[in-house]
This record gives sequence, C-alpha cells and structure tokens, in this order.
Amino acid sequence: MIRLLQGDEACAEGAIAAGCRFFAGYPITPATEIAEVMARRLPQVGGVFIQMEDEIASIAAVIGAAVGGAKAMTATSGPGFSLMQENLGYAVMAEIPCVIVDVQRLGPSTGRPTRPSQGDVMQARWGTHGDHPIIALCPSSVQETFDLTVKAFNFAEQYRTPVILLMDEVVGHMREGVDLPDYDAVERVERGQTLVPPEWYKPFENVPTNIPPLIPFGEGYRYHITGLHHDERGYPTERVSEIEPWLERVFGKIQQGLSEILLYDAEDTEDADVLVIAYGITARSARHAVRYARERGHRVGFLKLKTLWPFPEEVVAAAAAQVDRVIVPELNLGQLVLEVERVIGREKVRRINRATGELIQPAEILTVIEEWDTV
Amino acid sequence: MQEAGRRIQEEIIISGFGGQGALFAGQLLAYAAMDQGLHVTWIPSYGPEMRGGKARCTVVISDEEIGSPLVRRPSAAIVLNIPSMEAFEPAVKPGGILVVNSSLVPQKSERDDIHVIYVPASDIASDLGNVRLANVVCLGALIQALGVIPLEAIERALDDHLPERHRKLLGLNKEALRKGAEYGEH
Repeated sequence: MIRLLQGDEACAEGAIAAGCRFFAGYPITPATEIAEVMARRLPQVGGVFIQMEDEIASIAAVIGAAVGGAKAMTATSGPGFSLMQENLGYAVMAEIPCVIVDVQRLGPSTGRPTRPSQGDVMQARWGTHGDHPIIALCPSSVQETFDLTVKAFNFAEQYRTPVILLMDEVVGHMREGVDLPDYDAVERVERGQTLVPPEWYKPFENVPTNIPPLIPFGEGYRYHITGLHHDERGYPTERVSEIEPWLERVFGKIQQGLSEILLYDAEDTEDADVLVIAYGITARSARHAVRYARERGHRVGFLKLKTLWPFPEEVVAAAAAQVDRVIVPELNLGQLVLEVERVIGREKVRRINRATGELIQPAEILTVIEEWDTV
Repeated sequence: MQEAGRRIQEEIIISGFGGQGALFAGQLLAYAAMDQGLHVTWIPSYGPEMRGGKARCTVVISDEEIGSPLVRRPSAAIVLNIPSMEAFEPAVKPGGILVVNSSLVPQKSERDDIHVIYVPASDIASDLGNVRLANVVCLGALIQALGVIPLEAIERALDDHLPERHRKLLGLNKEALRKGAEYGEH
C-alpha cells in the first residue's frame, strides 16, 4: 500500500519493520518526529521508548539495550550528534550493534534548526576519536529512508557495529508516496548465537569470520565490556599482541563485507564524458540535472552514493575512470569531495557547495555541466 | 528549468499564517496527485518559532521522479494573507497561476505575465459557516485553473484524510471546494 509519509516517519517505520524494539532519545528539530512515532509505535509492538535527559544518556541507554539483546536506535541532529560522539566510540570499541540517526540541519552549533545540510559527513566518519571503521548510510527520498533504515539495522547486526543513518532536514520533513512492505516479509538479520557454554564464551574472540556473536546479558553468559582495549574475554589489556589482532579484526569485518555494504546507483556512466557524484537530498537535484543534460545531448553519467562510509573507493574510481570531469555537489563547503579527490585526484573534480540552508537546484548543476561539456 | 518532452510538472506553494490550513490544503493536493498515479513531494517550510509564524508548504507534482522538492520559482501559488502575497506574487513563474485570498489581501498583483485569480475565500468560507474553510476554497480555484488533477480526486482525499475531529465538516469542505472552483474557470 502506498502511503504519503514523512521521511522521519518512514525512518521510524523502517526501524519497526527491521525489528527495533528500543528507542531512547532527546527531542531536537528536525529529528523529533522520529521519536514521536517511536513513542507511539513501540508500545504497540511490545517495545520500549524512553525520553532521556540528554543525548549522551540516549546513546548510553541504546548501547545498554543492545547488550541486553534488543535492536536499538536513537535519533538526533547535529548538536545532539556531537554529544553522542564519545559513546559512539564506545559502541565501536565494544562492538555493539545499534543505529544512530542524524537528521542533519545547518550547523555549526545550533545553526539553523529547520534547514537542511550535509555538514555532518566528516563528523560521521571521524567525530569520535581514534582509528575505527564505521558504516554510514544516506537516503535521498522517503522510500529510501525506509529501506536504508532496515539496512542499517541489518548491517549493525551482521557486522556487530554501530551504524549511522545520515538524513537531512528536507528528507526528514518531506512527505512522499512510500510503498510499505509487509513487515513480516522484511529481511532481518538477527543476533548471532553461540554453541559454547558460558564458561567458554569469549565475546571478542578472534574467530575466522571476524564477527564473534554477542550474547545478551542476562542469559548466563557473564563477560566484561569496556572502552579500554581488551582481550578476547573483554578484560583490559596493554598487550600489543592482543590489541593488534583486535584492530585487524574490527577493520577486517567491515572490509570483508564491502560488496554487501557499499550501496549505490549508477546511471548512464558507460559512455559519459562528465560524471556527477551526489548523495542524500542533493542527489535528487543532481539526477534531475543529469537527465535533462542527457536530453540536450550531453554525455553525462550519474553516481548516487547511498553508503558514504566506508567510502566506496573502487566504485568511484571505476565510474570516474573514463570521464574528463567529475562534479560533486553537496550541502557543505566540501566534505565527501575530499574523498573523491583522494581517489581520483583533484584535476578532474569540480565542486558545487552550499552551506546556507538552501538546496542546490537542478539548474545550478546543469549550468556547471554545460560549462564543461559543450555540445 | 523546463524539461523537454515533459507532460506534467507543477510546483505549488501554499502560504498563510499558522492555523489558516495552508499545510493541510497542500496535503490534500498531494494525496489527490498520488491518487492520480503521479509522483509528489510535500514539504513544509517554517522558521524556528513555535506559533503564530508563517506557515507554508511546497508541493511538487510530476509524472517522473522529482528532482528538488523545494523551488524558488513555483508554477502556482495560493496566498492566504498579505505577507504571503508580498513574498510569492513576485516569485510565480511567467505563465503561472496565483490564487489570492482577496478577503484578506486588498492589493492587486502588478504582474501581467501570470494568471491571477482573486477569490474572496474567507468571506465565502464565513458564508458557508466556517471561516477556516478558506484554504479549501482557494484550493478549489487552483485545481480548476490548473487542470492537472480532477476536483473529484481532492474530494476523495477529503473523504480519506479529513481528520476525525473535523469529520462533520466533510460536506462543507466539498461545498467550499466547488465554490472555489467556480472562480478558477477560465
């Protein structure tokens, strides 16, 4: 059935469909509607909603719920996402599956609460300190918000890692037709199981799959969790011989899943002279401009990235290999473009940036395409 | 930006004070467009204030996937009050439609390149028994002038989506829609 849903509503529904049964959050524009829907929906499906005192407590509660066995989520915007960074690192370190939604608004600081931005792209990657892998997904429509929220939960469980969903104010508040599937038919990844008895269980074991199962607290499996570097049982360690394998394993578990994790749409890239790479709300204007340019005879290709982190290096390199120019529009002063330039070099790349709270319009991207590609 | 070979693409801004029903009128339009199998986006625009501010929404209707859900130059606008008139009368694209709630907006448009429809919507709504129907009166005028979506699709949207607490006003809403539509006829 097709319903006219807001992006924030679709995020909440996607979470319910994916099996999320715990939400802790603190209201903030433009993410409040996610909490609102979860407050109403979770009790209907036997879940728990808690409004916490702040965002630090929110992500802490989510981590706790996840260790208790629940699929758990929190949702916030830039200012709250900043507060969550420390515990986000804890979730990475302790390998806690959970989903953190950041509905991006214009920053820095409280910025413009009711205006969109894509200014938290680098924060999603490097906001928490220390070297670590992370998965971040970015929807460009209400339907994609539903679909990618489900994916976020599945990746979190599959790879035992926090996953960030980077929405923006327009995708969050916009209403569009959404085809909601039967939730029972939605593909869900469930928490891993173990065959070993409690006394043999090692929650951070360096198993060949790189992903040891996380057995919920309360089932008789007693173990230690810490933000300190730890051994396979979870106790703090200073030994390089234990720290190195951990690093290899947590990076390895994401690396080995890249073919599944890296989500993107490529259109008309085969014969292109010019490639437009975009993501999130900006991808809509970009695709519109590309299709229009095609009709006017320009050989333009389009690459929409739905997974921003890990950065899809090979996908971008392959799509850009044949073209003369690459255009990267984004609602910030140049963030993901840094990765594009790292992969393919700066010479070919042209940036289109805006960080005022206004969208980049299709016509603006078209103008840049036509400047370069004279038919 | 006009697209070659395009059949349907309308960007409509509906704007007024909070409480005038601009957002709901936009939702009716969005549901009706969806009912016709069209792509649609509806997005509210509001500032940081909680109450008493401007309330407006942008609805984009297209027979293909929608590029930007926000536009600077709409192809049509409904202005329910004076500040909205001042903001959007100059913004409507040449050849576009402007529906003015002339009960509350005394001034006339100075544009000669758009189709301006003056509807005493608040007065019509008051005569029908509820001044808050002015949004639907204006929507009727716009739908009729636009010719993209049949009036019946808006009526079905009212049947399906008028909030429970306003259910008793369903008949009046449809009457308001039809009264408005008379003003939209060329």
